Amino acid sequence: MIKKIIGGETVDVDCTVEIINTFESLEAHVRFNDGTTVAPGDEVLVHGKPIEVPYGEKQQFDRRATIKRAGAVERLWTRATGDFEFMELCEFSFSEERL
Amino acid sequence: MNAHSKVPANGKPIHVEDQNETTKMAHETTLLDPRFYTTDFDKLDKTDVSSVRAEWDVLIEQMKSDPNKGHFKRTEAWDDIDLESLPEGLRKELVDFLVSSLTAEFSGCVLYKEMKRRGSNPDIKELFSYMSRDEARHAGFINDSLKDFGIGVNLGFLTKAKKYTYFRPKFIFYATYLSEKIGYARYITIFRHFEKHPEKRFHPIFKWFQEWCNDEFSHGEAFSLLMRSDPKLLSGHNKLWIKFFLCAVYATMFVRDHARPEFHKAMGIGIEDYDMRVFRITNEITKQCFPLLLDIENPKFLKRLQRMNRLAIAMGKADNQGGIMGRIKKVGIGAAVAANFAGLYFMPTIKNEIPETSRLVPTW
Repeated sequence: MIKKIIGGETVDVDCTVEIINTFESLEAHVRFNDGTTVAPGDEVLVHGKPIEVPYGEKQQFDRRATIKRAGAVERLWTRATGDFEFMELCEFSFSEERL
Repeated sequence: MNAHSKVPANGKPIHVEDQNETTKMAHETTLLDPRFYTTDFDKLDKTDVSSVRAEWDVLIEQMKSDPNKGHFKRTEAWDDIDLESLPEGLRKELVDFLVSSLTAEFSGCVLYKEMKRRGSNPDIKELFSYMSRDEARHAGFINDSLKDFGIGVNLGFLTKAKKYTYFRPKFIFYATYLSEKIGYARYITIFRHFEKHPEKRFHPIFKWFQEWCNDEFSHGEAFSLLMRSDPKLLSGHNKLWIKFFLCAVYATMFVRDHARPEFHKAMGIGIEDYDMRVFRITNEITKQCFPLLLDIENPKFLKRLQRMNRLAIAMGKADNQGGIMGRIKKVGIGAAVAANFAGLYFMPTIKNEIPETSRLVPTW
Protein backbone atom coordinates (compact mmCIF):
# COMPACT_ATOMS: atom_id res chain seq x y z
CA MET A 1 0.00 0.00 0.00
CA ILE A 2 2.72 2.41 1.04
CA LYS A 3 4.69 1.46 -2.08
CA LYS A 4 1.68 2.23 -4.22
CA ILE A 5 1.77 5.79 -2.97
CA ILE A 6 5.44 6.53 -2.64
CA GLY A 7 6.60 4.11 -5.31
CA GLY A 8 9.52 1.73 -5.35
CA GLU A 9 7.62 -1.43 -6.20
CA THR A 10 9.77 -3.40 -8.62
CA VAL A 11 8.95 -5.96 -11.30
CA ASP A 12 11.55 -8.12 -13.04
CA VAL A 13 10.78 -9.19 -16.57
CA ASP A 14 12.48 -10.70 -19.60
CA CYS A 15 12.93 -8.30 -22.42
CA THR A 16 14.19 -8.18 -25.97
CA VAL A 17 16.40 -5.34 -27.09
CA GLU A 18 16.45 -4.84 -30.84
CA ILE A 19 19.11 -2.70 -32.44
CA ILE A 20 19.50 -1.77 -36.06
CA ASN A 21 22.66 0.18 -36.76
CA THR A 22 22.89 0.25 -40.52
CA PHE A 23 23.06 2.81 -43.25
CA GLU A 24 19.38 2.29 -43.93
CA SER A 25 18.22 2.60 -40.37
CA LEU A 26 19.26 3.51 -36.86
CA GLU A 27 16.83 2.19 -34.26
CA ALA A 28 16.77 0.78 -30.77
CA HIS A 29 13.73 -0.70 -29.10
CA VAL A 30 13.10 -2.48 -25.83
CA ARG A 31 10.16 -4.91 -25.67
CA PHE A 32 8.98 -6.71 -22.56
CA ASN A 33 8.38 -10.30 -23.59
CA ASP A 34 5.32 -10.93 -21.42
CA GLY A 35 3.57 -7.78 -22.57
CA THR A 36 4.19 -5.86 -19.35
CA THR A 37 3.73 -2.15 -19.96
CA VAL A 38 5.27 0.91 -18.40
CA ALA A 39 3.34 3.81 -17.01
CA PRO A 40 4.24 7.49 -16.54
CA GLY A 41 7.13 7.99 -14.14
CA ASP A 42 8.23 4.33 -14.12
CA GLU A 43 11.91 3.68 -14.40
CA VAL A 44 13.33 0.84 -16.47
CA LEU A 45 16.77 -0.68 -16.09
CA VAL A 46 17.97 -3.23 -18.61
CA HIS A 47 20.57 -5.44 -16.96
CA GLY A 48 23.83 -6.67 -18.37
CA LYS A 49 26.79 -5.30 -20.23
CA PRO A 50 26.46 -2.11 -22.25
CA ILE A 51 25.01 -2.91 -25.63
CA GLU A 52 27.09 -2.26 -28.68
CA VAL A 53 26.22 -3.16 -32.22
CA PRO A 54 28.85 -2.58 -34.88
CA TYR A 55 27.92 -0.36 -37.76
CA GLY A 56 26.16 -2.26 -40.52
CA GLU A 57 24.56 -4.82 -38.23
CA LYS A 58 21.19 -5.70 -36.74
CA GLN A 59 21.15 -7.56 -33.45
CA GLN A 60 18.74 -8.77 -30.80
CA PHE A 61 19.57 -9.28 -27.17
CA ASP A 62 17.64 -11.24 -24.55
CA ARG A 63 17.99 -9.48 -21.25
CA ARG A 64 16.37 -9.10 -17.86
CA ALA A 65 14.92 -5.75 -16.96
CA THR A 66 13.73 -4.25 -13.71
CA ILE A 67 10.79 -1.88 -13.81
CA LYS A 68 10.63 0.37 -10.79
CA ARG A 69 7.06 1.52 -10.53
CA ALA A 70 6.38 5.16 -9.82
CA GLY A 71 4.19 5.95 -6.84
CA ALA A 72 0.80 7.58 -7.22
CA VAL A 73 2.21 11.03 -6.49
CA GLU A 74 5.02 10.76 -8.97
CA ARG A 75 2.66 9.32 -11.56
CA LEU A 76 0.32 12.27 -11.18
CA TRP A 77 3.24 14.67 -11.33
CA THR A 78 4.62 13.06 -14.48
CA ARG A 79 1.20 13.17 -16.10
CA ALA A 80 0.83 16.82 -15.21
CA THR A 81 4.26 18.00 -16.30
CA GLY A 82 5.48 15.54 -18.93
CA ASP A 83 3.64 17.40 -21.65
CA PHE A 84 5.95 20.35 -21.28
CA GLU A 85 8.93 18.34 -22.42
CA PHE A 86 7.49 18.16 -25.90
CA MET A 87 10.14 20.51 -27.22
CA GLU A 88 12.53 17.58 -27.23
CA LEU A 89 10.91 16.38 -30.40
CA CYS A 90 12.09 19.38 -32.38
CA GLU A 91 15.37 19.11 -34.23
CA PHE A 92 16.58 22.52 -33.04
CA SER A 93 15.97 22.03 -29.37
CA PHE A 94 18.37 19.35 -28.26
CA SER A 95 21.61 20.99 -27.44
CA GLU A 96 21.27 23.68 -24.88
CA GLU A 97 24.85 24.72 -24.58
CA ARG A 98 25.80 27.85 -26.43
CA LEU A 99 28.61 26.88 -28.73
CA MET B 1 39.42 9.50 -21.77
CA ASN B 2 39.14 13.15 -22.44
CA ALA B 3 35.74 14.71 -22.56
CA HIS B 4 35.99 17.03 -25.57
CA SER B 5 32.71 18.74 -25.26
CA LYS B 6 29.42 18.27 -23.61
CA VAL B 7 26.36 19.04 -25.59
CA PRO B 8 23.26 18.51 -23.50
CA ALA B 9 20.57 16.59 -25.32
CA ASN B 10 17.07 16.69 -23.97
CA GLY B 11 18.50 18.59 -21.09
CA LYS B 12 20.96 15.80 -20.42
CA PRO B 13 24.53 15.63 -21.59
CA ILE B 14 25.74 13.90 -24.68
CA HIS B 15 29.31 12.97 -23.94
CA VAL B 16 31.65 13.21 -26.81
CA GLU B 17 34.59 11.23 -25.66
CA ASP B 18 37.87 10.26 -27.09
CA GLN B 19 38.10 6.52 -27.01
CA ASN B 20 41.39 6.07 -28.72
CA GLU B 21 43.45 9.05 -29.58
CA THR B 22 45.69 7.09 -31.90
CA THR B 23 42.86 5.96 -34.12
CA LYS B 24 41.85 8.61 -36.57
CA MET B 25 38.49 7.33 -37.66
CA ALA B 26 35.53 6.59 -35.42
CA HIS B 27 37.50 7.76 -32.45
CA GLU B 28 34.71 9.67 -30.82
CA THR B 29 31.37 8.39 -29.71
CA THR B 30 28.25 10.40 -29.20
CA LEU B 31 26.28 8.98 -26.36
CA LEU B 32 22.70 9.29 -27.45
CA ASP B 33 20.48 10.14 -24.57
CA PRO B 34 16.94 10.05 -25.88
CA ARG B 35 13.93 10.31 -23.63
CA PHE B 36 11.30 7.62 -23.38
CA TYR B 37 7.68 8.48 -23.57
CA THR B 38 4.39 6.93 -22.77
CA THR B 39 0.91 8.18 -23.45
CA ASP B 40 -2.71 7.35 -22.86
CA PHE B 41 -2.84 4.42 -25.28
CA ASP B 42 -6.54 3.75 -24.66
CA LYS B 43 -7.40 7.26 -25.64
CA LEU B 44 -5.15 7.07 -28.67
CA ASP B 45 -6.91 3.88 -29.71
CA LYS B 46 -10.24 5.69 -29.65
CA THR B 47 -9.05 8.01 -32.42
CA ASP B 48 -11.65 7.83 -35.15
CA VAL B 49 -10.59 9.13 -38.54
CA SER B 50 -13.92 8.37 -40.24
CA SER B 51 -14.74 12.07 -40.66
CA VAL B 52 -11.54 12.55 -42.68
CA ARG B 53 -11.44 9.07 -44.19
CA ALA B 54 -11.16 10.07 -47.86
CA GLU B 55 -8.12 12.27 -47.27
CA TRP B 56 -6.67 9.82 -44.77
CA ASP B 57 -6.73 6.91 -47.21
CA VAL B 58 -4.99 8.93 -49.92
CA LEU B 59 -2.25 9.95 -47.51
CA ILE B 60 -1.73 6.46 -46.09
CA GLU B 61 -1.56 5.04 -49.60
CA GLN B 62 1.13 7.57 -50.45
CA MET B 63 3.12 6.74 -47.31
CA LYS B 64 2.75 3.05 -47.98
CA SER B 65 4.19 3.48 -51.48
CA ASP B 66 7.31 4.82 -49.72
CA PRO B 67 8.31 7.44 -52.31
CA ASN B 68 11.64 8.13 -50.60
CA LYS B 69 12.74 4.53 -50.34
CA GLY B 70 15.65 4.97 -52.72
CA HIS B 71 16.51 8.53 -51.79
CA PHE B 72 18.76 8.11 -48.79
CA LYS B 73 21.80 6.72 -50.51
CA ARG B 74 25.18 8.19 -51.17
CA THR B 75 25.30 8.80 -54.89
CA GLU B 76 27.91 10.63 -56.94
CA ALA B 77 26.14 13.81 -55.89
CA TRP B 78 27.70 13.27 -52.46
CA ASP B 79 30.84 15.23 -53.15
CA ASP B 80 33.36 14.39 -50.53
CA ILE B 81 34.51 17.49 -48.83
CA ASP B 82 37.57 18.00 -46.75
CA LEU B 83 36.07 18.23 -43.30
CA GLU B 84 39.42 19.13 -41.84
CA SER B 85 39.43 22.29 -43.90
CA LEU B 86 36.24 23.59 -42.29
CA PRO B 87 36.98 26.29 -39.72
CA GLU B 88 36.83 24.86 -36.19
CA GLY B 89 33.77 26.90 -35.14
CA LEU B 90 31.81 25.83 -38.19
CA ARG B 91 32.85 22.22 -37.83
CA LYS B 92 31.65 22.20 -34.24
CA GLU B 93 28.31 23.78 -35.10
CA LEU B 94 27.81 21.46 -38.05
CA VAL B 95 28.41 18.44 -35.82
CA ASP B 96 26.01 19.91 -33.25
CA PHE B 97 23.43 20.38 -36.00
CA LEU B 98 23.84 16.77 -37.13
CA VAL B 99 23.75 15.37 -33.60
CA SER B 100 20.62 17.30 -32.66
CA SER B 101 18.95 16.24 -35.88
CA LEU B 102 19.95 12.64 -35.26
CA THR B 103 18.59 12.70 -31.70
CA ALA B 104 15.30 14.23 -32.85
CA GLU B 105 14.86 11.63 -35.58
CA PHE B 106 15.82 8.85 -33.21
CA SER B 107 13.42 9.99 -30.48
CA GLY B 108 10.67 10.36 -33.06
CA CYS B 109 11.31 6.83 -34.24
CA VAL B 110 11.14 5.39 -30.70
CA LEU B 111 7.97 7.33 -29.86
CA TYR B 112 6.20 6.40 -33.10
CA LYS B 113 7.20 2.75 -32.83
CA GLU B 114 5.87 2.61 -29.29
CA MET B 115 2.56 4.08 -30.45
CA LYS B 116 2.40 1.52 -33.21
CA ARG B 117 3.26 -1.36 -30.91
CA ARG B 118 0.94 -0.55 -28.04
CA GLY B 119 -2.01 0.61 -30.06
CA SER B 120 -4.74 -1.62 -31.41
CA ASN B 121 -6.49 0.85 -33.70
CA PRO B 122 -5.46 -0.28 -37.22
CA ASP B 123 -5.38 3.26 -38.65
CA ILE B 124 -3.07 4.44 -35.89
CA LYS B 125 -0.87 1.37 -36.12
CA GLU B 126 -0.41 1.70 -39.84
CA LEU B 127 0.33 5.42 -39.74
CA PHE B 128 2.90 5.15 -36.97
CA SER B 129 4.68 2.23 -38.58
CA TYR B 130 5.38 4.33 -41.70
CA MET B 131 6.44 7.35 -39.71
CA SER B 132 8.75 5.28 -37.52
CA ARG B 133 10.28 3.79 -40.66
CA ASP B 134 11.01 7.24 -42.08
CA GLU B 135 12.54 8.60 -38.89
CA ALA B 136 14.82 5.56 -38.49
CA ARG B 137 15.95 5.99 -42.07
CA HIS B 138 16.76 9.66 -41.52
CA ALA B 139 18.64 8.79 -38.34
CA GLY B 140 20.67 6.18 -40.25
CA PHE B 141 21.57 8.69 -42.92
CA ILE B 142 22.72 11.31 -40.42
CA ASN B 143 24.59 8.66 -38.46
CA ASP B 144 26.50 7.83 -41.61
CA SER B 145 27.44 11.49 -42.14
CA LEU B 146 28.72 11.68 -38.58
CA LYS B 147 31.06 8.81 -39.40
CA ASP B 148 32.89 11.13 -41.79
CA PHE B 149 33.74 13.18 -38.73
CA GLY B 150 34.94 10.06 -36.98
CA ILE B 151 31.92 10.09 -34.67
CA GLY B 152 29.86 6.99 -33.98
CA VAL B 153 26.78 6.61 -31.82
CA ASN B 154 27.04 4.97 -28.45
CA LEU B 155 23.97 3.07 -27.31
CA GLY B 156 25.04 3.05 -23.67
CA PHE B 157 21.72 4.60 -22.67
CA LEU B 158 20.01 1.28 -23.25
CA THR B 159 21.49 -0.28 -20.12
CA LYS B 160 21.05 2.77 -17.92
CA ALA B 161 17.97 3.44 -15.81
CA LYS B 162 15.42 5.30 -17.89
CA LYS B 163 12.43 7.21 -16.66
CA TYR B 164 9.34 7.26 -18.80
CA THR B 165 7.72 10.61 -19.19
CA TYR B 166 4.19 11.23 -20.36
CA PHE B 167 2.51 13.11 -23.19
CA ARG B 168 -1.22 13.36 -23.53
CA PRO B 169 -2.24 12.21 -27.04
CA LYS B 170 -3.49 15.65 -27.99
CA PHE B 171 -0.18 17.20 -26.95
CA ILE B 172 1.64 14.68 -29.09
CA PHE B 173 -0.54 15.81 -31.97
CA TYR B 174 0.09 19.54 -31.45
CA ALA B 175 3.79 19.17 -30.75
CA THR B 176 4.68 16.66 -33.43
CA TYR B 177 2.50 18.41 -35.99
CA LEU B 178 4.41 21.61 -35.41
CA SER B 179 7.76 19.93 -35.19
CA GLU B 180 7.24 18.10 -38.48
CA LYS B 181 5.93 21.16 -40.31
CA ILE B 182 8.54 23.53 -38.95
CA GLY B 183 11.14 20.88 -39.77
CA TYR B 184 9.90 20.90 -43.34
CA ALA B 185 10.02 24.70 -43.47
CA ARG B 186 13.57 24.75 -42.10
CA TYR B 187 14.92 22.14 -44.46
CA ILE B 188 13.26 23.52 -47.58
CA THR B 189 14.45 27.04 -46.77
CA ILE B 190 18.03 25.77 -46.49
CA PHE B 191 17.66 23.72 -49.66
CA ARG B 192 16.28 26.66 -51.68
CA HIS B 193 19.00 28.91 -50.36
CA PHE B 194 21.75 26.56 -51.51
CA GLU B 195 20.03 26.14 -54.86
CA LYS B 196 20.62 29.84 -55.37
CA HIS B 197 24.07 29.84 -53.79
CA PRO B 198 25.65 26.45 -54.50
CA GLU B 199 29.09 27.89 -53.79
CA LYS B 200 28.07 28.27 -50.15
CA ARG B 201 27.04 24.67 -49.66
CA PHE B 202 29.63 23.49 -47.17
CA HIS B 203 28.37 19.93 -46.75
CA PRO B 204 26.77 17.53 -49.24
CA ILE B 205 23.98 16.45 -46.87
CA PHE B 206 22.05 19.62 -47.72
CA LYS B 207 21.51 18.31 -51.25
CA TRP B 208 19.29 15.60 -49.75
CA PHE B 209 17.02 18.01 -47.92
CA GLN B 210 14.37 18.43 -50.60
CA GLU B 211 13.05 14.86 -50.66
CA TRP B 212 13.91 14.46 -47.00
CA CYS B 213 11.66 17.28 -45.93
CA ASN B 214 8.82 15.81 -47.99
CA ASP B 215 8.73 13.03 -45.39
CA GLU B 216 8.41 15.63 -42.64
CA PHE B 217 5.72 17.30 -44.68
CA SER B 218 3.62 14.19 -45.07
CA HIS B 219 4.00 13.30 -41.37
CA GLY B 220 2.63 16.75 -40.63
CA GLU B 221 -0.26 16.08 -43.02
CA ALA B 222 -1.15 12.99 -40.99
CA PHE B 223 -1.19 14.92 -37.72
CA SER B 224 -3.32 17.62 -39.33
CA LEU B 225 -5.87 14.95 -40.24
CA LEU B 226 -5.72 13.42 -36.77
CA MET B 227 -6.49 16.79 -35.22
CA ARG B 228 -9.17 17.61 -37.76
CA SER B 229 -10.83 14.25 -37.11
CA ASP B 230 -11.73 15.57 -33.66
CA PRO B 231 -12.80 19.24 -34.03
CA LYS B 232 -12.73 19.68 -30.24
CA LEU B 233 -8.94 19.60 -30.46
CA LEU B 234 -8.98 22.72 -32.60
CA SER B 235 -11.55 24.81 -30.77
CA GLY B 236 -12.62 26.05 -27.34
CA HIS B 237 -9.96 26.06 -24.64
CA ASN B 238 -7.63 24.01 -26.84
CA LYS B 239 -7.02 27.18 -28.83
CA LEU B 240 -5.06 28.39 -25.82
CA TRP B 241 -2.89 25.29 -25.99
CA ILE B 242 -2.28 25.74 -29.69
CA LYS B 243 -1.19 29.31 -29.07
CA PHE B 244 1.10 28.12 -26.30
CA PHE B 245 2.74 25.54 -28.54
CA LEU B 246 3.22 28.05 -31.34
CA CYS B 247 4.86 30.60 -29.03
CA ALA B 248 7.09 28.01 -27.36
CA VAL B 249 8.25 26.40 -30.59
CA TYR B 250 8.87 29.67 -32.46
CA ALA B 251 10.73 31.24 -29.53
CA THR B 252 12.88 28.16 -28.90
CA MET B 253 13.83 27.91 -32.53
CA PHE B 254 14.85 31.56 -32.62
CA VAL B 255 17.04 31.25 -29.53
CA ARG B 256 18.61 27.98 -30.63
CA ASP B 257 19.45 29.17 -34.11
CA HIS B 258 21.21 32.18 -32.65
CA ALA B 259 23.51 29.79 -30.83
CA ARG B 260 24.88 28.66 -34.20
CA PRO B 261 26.38 31.85 -35.66
CA GLU B 262 29.16 30.18 -37.66
CA PHE B 263 26.77 27.74 -39.27
CA HIS B 264 24.54 30.52 -40.58
CA LYS B 265 27.46 32.73 -41.53
CA ALA B 266 28.89 29.95 -43.67
CA MET B 267 25.49 29.48 -45.28
CA GLY B 268 25.49 33.18 -46.06
CA ILE B 269 22.12 33.69 -44.44
CA GLY B 270 21.11 36.06 -41.64
CA ILE B 271 19.67 34.13 -38.71
CA GLU B 272 16.74 36.49 -38.23
CA ASP B 273 16.02 36.52 -41.92
CA TYR B 274 16.15 32.71 -42.04
CA ASP B 275 13.91 32.31 -39.00
CA MET B 276 11.36 34.79 -40.30
CA ARG B 277 11.22 32.92 -43.60
CA VAL B 278 10.66 29.67 -41.71
CA PHE B 279 7.89 31.26 -39.60
CA ARG B 280 6.17 32.60 -42.72
CA ILE B 281 6.13 29.17 -44.35
CA THR B 282 5.02 27.48 -41.13
CA ASN B 283 2.24 30.04 -40.60
CA GLU B 284 1.04 29.47 -44.15
CA ILE B 285 1.02 25.69 -43.68
CA THR B 286 -0.71 25.70 -40.30
CA LYS B 287 -3.71 27.42 -41.89
CA GLN B 288 -4.76 23.88 -42.85
CA CYS B 289 -5.81 23.10 -39.30
CA PHE B 290 -5.01 25.70 -36.64
CA PRO B 291 -7.79 28.16 -35.76
CA LEU B 292 -5.26 30.93 -35.12
CA LEU B 293 -1.87 32.13 -36.34
CA LEU B 294 0.75 34.17 -34.54
CA ASP B 295 1.01 37.70 -35.92
CA ILE B 296 4.64 37.34 -36.97
CA GLU B 297 4.65 40.53 -39.06
CA ASN B 298 3.79 42.63 -36.03
CA PRO B 299 7.14 44.29 -35.16
CA LYS B 300 6.54 43.47 -31.50
CA PHE B 301 6.78 39.77 -32.32
CA LEU B 302 10.39 40.01 -33.47
CA LYS B 303 11.22 42.33 -30.55
CA ARG B 304 9.91 39.73 -28.09
CA LEU B 305 12.03 37.03 -29.70
CA GLN B 306 15.11 39.23 -29.71
CA ARG B 307 14.59 39.90 -26.04
CA MET B 308 14.17 36.17 -25.43
CA ASN B 309 17.53 35.59 -27.08
CA ARG B 310 19.27 38.28 -25.00
CA LEU B 311 17.80 36.72 -21.85
CA ALA B 312 18.95 33.27 -22.92
CA ILE B 313 22.49 34.57 -23.39
CA ALA B 314 22.38 36.24 -19.98
CA MET B 315 21.07 33.01 -18.47
CA GLY B 316 23.97 31.11 -20.00
CA LYS B 317 26.44 33.56 -18.47
CA ALA B 318 24.80 33.35 -15.04
CA ASP B 319 24.94 29.58 -15.32
CA ASN B 320 28.66 29.64 -16.05
CA GLN B 321 29.26 32.11 -13.26
CA GLY B 322 27.74 29.71 -10.74
CA GLY B 323 27.79 30.35 -6.99
CA ILE B 324 25.19 32.27 -5.07
CA MET B 325 25.37 35.36 -7.29
CA GLY B 326 24.94 33.20 -10.34
CA ARG B 327 21.89 31.58 -8.81
CA ILE B 328 20.33 34.87 -7.79
CA LYS B 329 20.84 36.20 -11.29
CA LYS B 330 19.26 33.09 -12.74
CA VAL B 331 16.10 33.58 -10.68
CA GLY B 332 15.85 37.18 -11.89
CA ILE B 333 16.45 36.23 -15.50
CA GLY B 334 14.00 33.36 -15.19
CA ALA B 335 11.31 35.81 -14.09
CA ALA B 336 12.15 38.08 -17.02
CA VAL B 337 11.90 35.11 -19.40
CA ALA B 338 8.48 34.23 -18.00
CA ALA B 339 7.27 37.83 -18.31
CA ASN B 340 8.60 38.08 -21.85
CA PHE B 341 6.95 34.81 -22.79
CA ALA B 342 3.67 36.05 -21.33
CA GLY B 343 4.08 39.22 -23.43
CA LEU B 344 4.51 37.08 -26.52
CA TYR B 345 1.62 34.84 -25.55
CA PHE B 346 -0.82 37.69 -25.01
CA MET B 347 -0.08 39.41 -28.30
CA PRO B 348 -3.21 39.43 -30.47
CA THR B 349 -3.31 36.56 -32.93
CA ILE B 350 -4.78 36.24 -36.41
CA LYS B 351 -8.00 34.30 -36.65
CA ASN B 352 -7.99 31.52 -39.21
CA GLU B 353 -10.99 29.85 -40.81
CA ILE B 354 -10.06 26.19 -41.07
CA PRO B 355 -10.58 25.15 -44.72
CA GLU B 356 -12.89 22.37 -45.89
CA THR B 357 -10.04 20.04 -46.71
CA SER B 358 -6.66 19.61 -45.12
CA ARG B 359 -4.53 18.48 -48.02
CA LEU B 360 -1.53 20.59 -48.95
CA VAL B 361 1.30 19.86 -51.33
CA PRO B 362 4.85 20.90 -50.53
CA THR B 363 5.35 23.66 -53.05
CA TRP B 364 7.73 25.89 -51.15
